[in-house]
Amino acid sequence: MTEKITKEIFDHLVDLAALELDDDEAKYLRNELNNQLQAIYELEAITLDDEIDVTSHGVPYTESTRPELREDVIDPCKEADEILAQAAEVQDRYIVVPDIPSEELG
Amino acid sequence: MPEFESVIGLETHIQLNTQTKIFCGCKADSWEDLPNTNICPVCTGLPGVLPTLNNAVVTKAVLLALAVQVDSVQPKSYFARKNYFYPDLPKGYQISQYDEPLALGGFIDLPLPDGSVRRVTIEKLHLEEDAGKTVRQVGERWIDFNRCGVPLLEMVTGPDLRTADEAAQYLIRLRQLLRWLGISDADMERGQLRCDANVSIRPVGSDDLNTKTEIKNVNSIENVRSAIEAEIKRQIREVQSGGRIEAWTLDWDEDKSTLHKMRSKESEADYRYFREPDLLPVLIDQDWLEQMRDALPELPLERKERFIETYALPEYDSEILTEERTLSEYFERTVQAFIGDPKVVSNWMMNDLLRLIRERGTTAGKLIIQPEHLAELIAMVEAKTITASTGKELLDKVEHSGLTPEAIVKAEGLGQVSDEGKLRSLAVEIIETNPDQVATYTGGKTTILGWFVGQMMKETRGKANAQLVQKIFRELLEKS
Amino acid sequence: MNEALCDLSALEIARRVKSGENSAVQVLESTLDRIRNVEGNSPSTASYTFDPADLEKIHAYITVTKDRARVQAEQVDRAIEEGQDPGPLAGVPLAVKDIFCVRDTPSTAGSRILENFISPYSATPVERLEAAGAVTVGKVNLDEFTFGSSNESSAFLPPVGNPWNAAHVPGGSSGGSAAAVAAGEAVISIGTDTAGSIRQPAAFCGVVGMKPTYGRVSRYGLIAFASSLDCPGPIARNTTDVALALQVMAGSDPHDATAAEVPVPDYVSLLEGGVEGLRIGLSPDYFKLKFPDPETGEIREQSIDPDAQRAVQHAAEIFARAGAEIVEDVPMPNTHYGIPVYFVISRVEAASNLHRYDGVKYGYRYDGEVEDLRQLYRITRARGFGPQVKLRILMGMYVSAEQYEKGYYDKALRVRTLIRRDFLEAFDPQGRYKLDCLLTATTPTSAFEIGSVYGDSVLMQYADLLTVSANHAGNPGLSVPAGLDEKGLPIGIQFLGPDFSEGTLLRIGRTYEMRTEHEPWRAVKPKVLQGLG
Repeated sequence: MTEKITKEIFDHLVDLAALELDDDEAKYLRNELNNQLQAIYELEAITLDDEIDVTSHGVPYTESTRPELREDVIDPCKEADEILAQAAEVQDRYIVVPDIPSEELG
Repeated sequence: MPEFESVIGLETHIQLNTQTKIFCGCKADSWEDLPNTNICPVCTGLPGVLPTLNNAVVTKAVLLALAVQVDSVQPKSYFARKNYFYPDLPKGYQISQYDEPLALGGFIDLPLPDGSVRRVTIEKLHLEEDAGKTVRQVGERWIDFNRCGVPLLEMVTGPDLRTADEAAQYLIRLRQLLRWLGISDADMERGQLRCDANVSIRPVGSDDLNTKTEIKNVNSIENVRSAIEAEIKRQIREVQSGGRIEAWTLDWDEDKSTLHKMRSKESEADYRYFREPDLLPVLIDQDWLEQMRDALPELPLERKERFIETYALPEYDSEILTEERTLSEYFERTVQAFIGDPKVVSNWMMNDLLRLIRERGTTAGKLIIQPEHLAELIAMVEAKTITASTGKELLDKVEHSGLTPEAIVKAEGLGQVSDEGKLRSLAVEIIETNPDQVATYTGGKTTILGWFVGQMMKETRGKANAQLVQKIFRELLEKS
Repeated sequence: MNEALCDLSALEIARRVKSGENSAVQVLESTLDRIRNVEGNSPSTASYTFDPADLEKIHAYITVTKDRARVQAEQVDRAIEEGQDPGPLAGVPLAVKDIFCVRDTPSTAGSRILENFISPYSATPVERLEAAGAVTVGKVNLDEFTFGSSNESSAFLPPVGNPWNAAHVPGGSSGGSAAAVAAGEAVISIGTDTAGSIRQPAAFCGVVGMKPTYGRVSRYGLIAFASSLDCPGPIARNTTDVALALQVMAGSDPHDATAAEVPVPDYVSLLEGGVEGLRIGLSPDYFKLKFPDPETGEIREQSIDPDAQRAVQHAAEIFARAGAEIVEDVPMPNTHYGIPVYFVISRVEAASNLHRYDGVKYGYRYDGEVEDLRQLYRITRARGFGPQVKLRILMGMYVSAEQYEKGYYDKALRVRTLIRRDFLEAFDPQGRYKLDCLLTATTPTSAFEIGSVYGDSVLMQYADLLTVSANHAGNPGLSVPAGLDEKGLPIGIQFLGPDFSEGTLLRIGRTYEMRTEHEPWRAVKPKVLQGLG
């Protein structure tokens, strides 16, 4: 079986996903990914006519079934404090997170 | 050494002045509110929430698209997800239009000081949501989600601008247009109009597009000008000393007036754009679009030209009077109500009404004094019912009281005294009680005439018709 | 044996509660009693050590919202005392799959990362069920973020047991929902179906489950997995109760721009219409499965279980006798692309939907020392997500990243069109087949043993082979129990219909129910209930 997802690609995916994995987990996941890709390869064999467009939702929306856009009327939310209360760290109504490494070099 | 010219394109983010955010019913404007007060499950990205598109966002965006004469407002445009991790982005993706934006093509014409016009092409206009704000603290960041989901319209120009001044001019014209259309307050200091500038240089005469740098984080028109100027100089220095321009992202430090290079961010490929499945495509009905096009107001440059032609105004006057839409409308309504030379109206507006507007920190459309009042007031001055200086004071009085000019003139007895008989008898009194000054006059120093006029003004509290008074005194003094 | 209140149908409970024969509080007490009898150890995120006794019990509820439920039940009773109508579901005990946000309840998605998240708002369909008088008994277990077909991937263990044999899985991801309803721990449940997650566990647990048309029921408040495929839907013990619940849940919603503006028919009144004149199809592509060999990757073909085949044939005979026309050999040639397409679309959407769990705003945040924000994200997500979630995120990254296989996503969306086309042709009123529904087995096999498949993500996914196509195509599907196999485990059959044909599918299901009323398997109770009361 070819390993489409090499160690390097896998590490990049882990970085994109903002994860960190121990060795066992990484081994299991990379193996499963390559197995799943086997299944996906079935798609490569399919030839599609150009006229076949994408289906983004199975059921198409028509003029009568599409919901109207929202009217621009303020609907104040009373739960702002409850939302804030879910955060791990809050100071003066701000949500607090650790620093982001400085982006400036100059 | 060849001479260089610069090639500049601007990416502007326009905050649309809707009541609510783009995808939820929260109040969009949080300028005076505490952090994290205008938030709800949707704009804070709670599990399970879904976006619902605000129809006013589409309407306002289409208005601008039509005003910049886009090649097409797309009958069908799509939202996509731009995925990245950042604490001010609660869902971990920004909902933004991407490969199928709302409108394509278009231009803004920029009159240049030499009388020519620079046509700045617009590549595309697309809708997106704003992110929250992060505040730097020692060792941490503080996050406020109030701004999350505020509607933004991104408008990207072609590489058509040639100088920092032109870039600044473009922003001034864009700001004027946005306010004119009433779709954005366009205050750069408040982040309602934001600008990133792409800058490159090339030898004069070349058509090449060389490697460009992108300047971000500039929050006033003055700073855009300074930042671009600094970057052009830096690039020329770099090339002249044999260096190469690299595609850096630069940050303008307003306090030190210097540019900083920013660490390269995630590359475009890492955003993993895909169509937003939670929203249906934005459909633009062609009939509706035609209605919008018909309802589009006359735009500033067109109106300026029309004022010059129709009212025989000097270009300078016309430019100022069309700077802001309600001012130009005020002018026209005043002209319609006033029987006389439009230039007289223009003078009153440029000198006195604009002073009043500035003092009150308002716009013409919000003044209490109505164009009909102004016309009435100017007519009274022209008919010499009141003096010019009374007229100027009257402007403030009308604005303050809301009464008509005529009512105030009547109530306060401000009418100009032009009754020759009355003025003559007052003049005789003044002459009789001031023999010394009369002697000075008869002695040949006729410039003292002004003193006599002043006395009359004192007596009549400024309401006397000054020309008439002069004439009377001259006659009486010549005879003595 | 006297039936306990919690074993009655929703229709009967609402009738009794409204007439004052029983109170909503009594129904709730009966349900809580049942929960005490069959639940066993409560699922939790504490490190799990296997206990053989766990294979005897159900463990469906992550949270029993006893106090909140009592307040609701009392409100229903008070409304009735005051002469008001509390709604068509008056006093009906409801189990909510813990993928829905319900105000003031922990809404965990079966994940450590949301273990401490208390929702400040309620999902639209749940809000509607509660407004119709349903009493939310609690939040039931599921595969973590619905990612699975067995319930074993939940962070809350022990895993849910199948009421017919608790050593077997209840199916997934709405396994807690199906198991709770089958065991009388609730009378109705709301689940979600992304590839078969309502129908497959309904089949495994011998209950009725419906995946409505995409856009029929609002997704607002459903913690998203694959946004273009997710469908909330009801699970109950009979088609009438499913109709009753769907009636309440369905309809457009100002909070969901994809909830269609399609009028909601009176499903209950449509139920007794019979199948006379309906055209019901059978497709060879639903009897033979194509899937890649897990070892070699070669495409293999395998028939579905003989018991399942027999159940489908038997049902066809019943419908024929009831006046329906059976149309054989309806080609559905793109069915076998369902899983590969699903591997791509669902992963791309899931990876994006899971971006928001970063420890900043809610849920779990790693509280040790970190160098910077990026490290906080990594450790929080590494500890907060289970392996099946990580697997889906990583696959999603791969098939959506420009530099890898982004082309797959576009291709998958186009193959999705082919899958939909199969259905359009089968249902086309002017076409060759003119079907009102396609009759298939719901699953290729009955419930497998706990631990027998888990970990093999590909094999697990193929449990959805017969159900996933309807998610791609968006059309509705109804699974009803159709007997027991030789192991005594339930078999389910499925009706797949055109867009918004829920009423017809329920009618077909109801006909089947009535025509099989006296078959011996109907009298058999789930093992966990044998010997109770």
